[in-house]
Amino acid sequence: MDWAKHSLEKLETSREARLCSKPPKLGEDDAKKILNQYHPDYLGMHRNICIGPNKNDGNFPHELADLLEADSQLPIDFEPSEDIETDVLIIGGGGAGASAALALEETGLRVHLATKLRLGDSNTVMAEGGIQASLGINDSPRRHFSDAYVGGHGQNNPDLLRILCESGSSAISWLSQLGCMLDRNKDGTFQLRPGGGTSLPRVLACRDYTGLEIMRVLKDAVLLSGTTVLQNYAAIELLDDGEGQVTGAVLWDRNKEKLVTVSARAVIIATGGSGQLRFNSFPTSNHLGAVGDGLVLAYRQGCRLINSDSYQYHPSGSVYPEALVGQLVTESIRSMGAQVVNSEGSRFVDEMTFRDVLAASIIKEVKEKRGVQTPTNRIGVWLDTPIIDLQNGHGFLQRKFPGIVHRFARYSIDPAKQAILIYPTLHYQNGGIEIDKDGCTKVKGLWAAGEVTGGLHGTNRLMGNSLLDIIIFGRRAAISAQNSLPERRRVTLTRLKEFRASLEITSARQQLLSPQLFPTQTGMKISFERKATMGSQDKNSRSTNQLSFEPPDPFTK
Amino acid sequence: MKTVAIKVAGESIQARVGETVIHALWNAGKAELIKTGCAGGVCGACTITVRSPEGKMKGTDLACMCPVEEGMEVFPCPVDSALTVAPEMNPNEEKLRKAYPKLDRCTKCGSCTSACPMSIPVMDSVFRMRAGQLDEVADDFTNCIHCGLCRFVCEDGVQPHMMGMWVRRSIGSSAEKEERKKKDKDSHEIELEWQYLLEGSSTDRMNNALQFRKSGKIQP
Repeated sequence: MDWAKHSLEKLETSREARLCSKPPKLGEDDAKKILNQYHPDYLGMHRNICIGPNKNDGNFPHELADLLEADSQLPIDFEPSEDIETDVLIIGGGGAGASAALALEETGLRVHLATKLRLGDSNTVMAEGGIQASLGINDSPRRHFSDAYVGGHGQNNPDLLRILCESGSSAISWLSQLGCMLDRNKDGTFQLRPGGGTSLPRVLACRDYTGLEIMRVLKDAVLLSGTTVLQNYAAIELLDDGEGQVTGAVLWDRNKEKLVTVSARAVIIATGGSGQLRFNSFPTSNHLGAVGDGLVLAYRQGCRLINSDSYQYHPSGSVYPEALVGQLVTESIRSMGAQVVNSEGSRFVDEMTFRDVLAASIIKEVKEKRGVQTPTNRIGVWLDTPIIDLQNGHGFLQRKFPGIVHRFARYSIDPAKQAILIYPTLHYQNGGIEIDKDGCTKVKGLWAAGEVTGGLHGTNRLMGNSLLDIIIFGRRAAISAQNSLPERRRVTLTRLKEFRASLEITSARQQLLSPQLFPTQTGMKISFERKATMGSQDKNSRSTNQLSFEPPDPFTK
Repeated sequence: MKTVAIKVAGESIQARVGETVIHALWNAGKAELIKTGCAGGVCGACTITVRSPEGKMKGTDLACMCPVEEGMEVFPCPVDSALTVAPEMNPNEEKLRKAYPKLDRCTKCGSCTSACPMSIPVMDSVFRMRAGQLDEVADDFTNCIHCGLCRFVCEDGVQPHMMGMWVRRSIGSSAEKEERKKKDKDSHEIELEWQYLLEGSSTDRMNNALQFRKSGKIQP
């Protein structure tokens, strides 16, 4: 890394002095100022939408607003006719979907889980840092609540948040029963790490592979359960009975390139987030499928979205090497002592403050020319990782964070010896579908859980609360669906027809089609056998420019 | 920007130096050539085999973690999932053998270890399985992403990653429940604290939360 030699020298020179230094503290007002000036959420790059439940109310990033105003992927002449009959249809194969499926294991209900990728290919599996539970000596669910509420700027739905915090201990017990191995102390108690914005150590982890550990166990358990898993089946529309109840979904079978109609008594949306929409051209830590499908599907059925202008830019995304750009460097590495340092070798922010404040501070530092530029013209600040071993002894970093070490080793970078460059990466969708404490949406027959929902985390989520979220609310949605399972009703596209009619009036983004299913950058297309020919010529003339946000033409191979 | 010529599934692609095979495919509009999941090295979807032009030894890899190199040839190598066996309480090598009878067929060829994109000492760990050193096995497979390559390359049908999962889940679910001495406050006090945090105007609630997180108590 000769190109950064100058700055690296400063970093190393200042290390000794920084070793015992206290992090710079920001007052509340200063933090607010930095957020207002530098955090992408606060820069007003949003717009209204002219259709649906959030019509003229609420701000949306342009990329998401376009998708919410877009037409359906379904051909106009498509008529649903039942191919699969089930009791509960879960859409989404991450942690929330898997938890929902497992909660229904012993109920005797028929359960189908559909995922456009494979079971487990999700943001859950990529989570590194951990899962919160208030198991510490002076800790309590109330204290957990206070931290998350302050971190979320008081925009959290307190009912949801209370349930989350009160369920920490039982979530950990449940995961342990399933066979998750979270790190323990010698005496058998769980190791607790601090997280950004936690007032006490409260984060349980499995090294820096916590999401992997949880997801692979959930996946194994789902495969052993009676759940029918439909892999490579993408949901492209929800069905309703014509009287306001969701009654199933139309799936696109990616392998056979066919549309499949599922009739269900309950549908649970657990499709996760939308980081791959790459708002404001940020890189993302999200998986391939995170393009907001569930928001689009639920919105067409009349579900309101809340806090949709709020996204989490994780402070420590990789900036170098190019192949790792946007990928996560766990917050937990900061909780173990790694310092955030500018090009001059100075700390400029408390590394363990709330994520949004830290991200905004890093952006500020770079804007004010105290960042370090890479050969590919990306700019970041240092995450001083070698200092960890100085504090905790040789080999500590390798033991606790084998994932980070493994990923960088390929590029001959050893984070135990060499600092790494970071810049905020688009990480988490704070807002989403409005739900109540049982995961019910406002629409009969439709439940939602996990990152696709909004309210729980307010406008800034704390580390370790999303893994807890998917376990608790995935299960709650499933149990609620079981307890108030509606009778089977007919499958129609009434809602979609109404939606399409209002599209005509507003002449909104009719050229776009959604859900998008895959990032535009991939150029991946939807294709399926069509029953009848359609005359909508204008839909075939969209741009295929890689740089535009226009999705590719779904009707041509 | 400097580019290199690579081949993926027989198709020629110009890729930018420094990017991975997956991102090269995206930029070339050929994303469908390799099934992808997380694109971050942990889901195991994008398994490939790689041939180097200079006769350098290459082998299996994850496309999302594999940087492009001039002249490389990449072949998609998707691995189907295998039937899994339920974990058991208090596992030992006999129970493992019953769950996965092909455990003893390992011929020490070492293919599994060289196929592993996570640098797990797979073959050594299979021997630890046979010797009943299951705690070590659980540790070995901490970072296993279940891409299935170790199983895919094994000519003898040994299923190392499946056994690794079985061992981890079996040990994990047998672990004693944590006995924390910690007792929460009595229910009356708990209810008062919730009232403190949940009632009043939004400004009150925010101030109360700010106060409460400092000590975990209501300050009079």
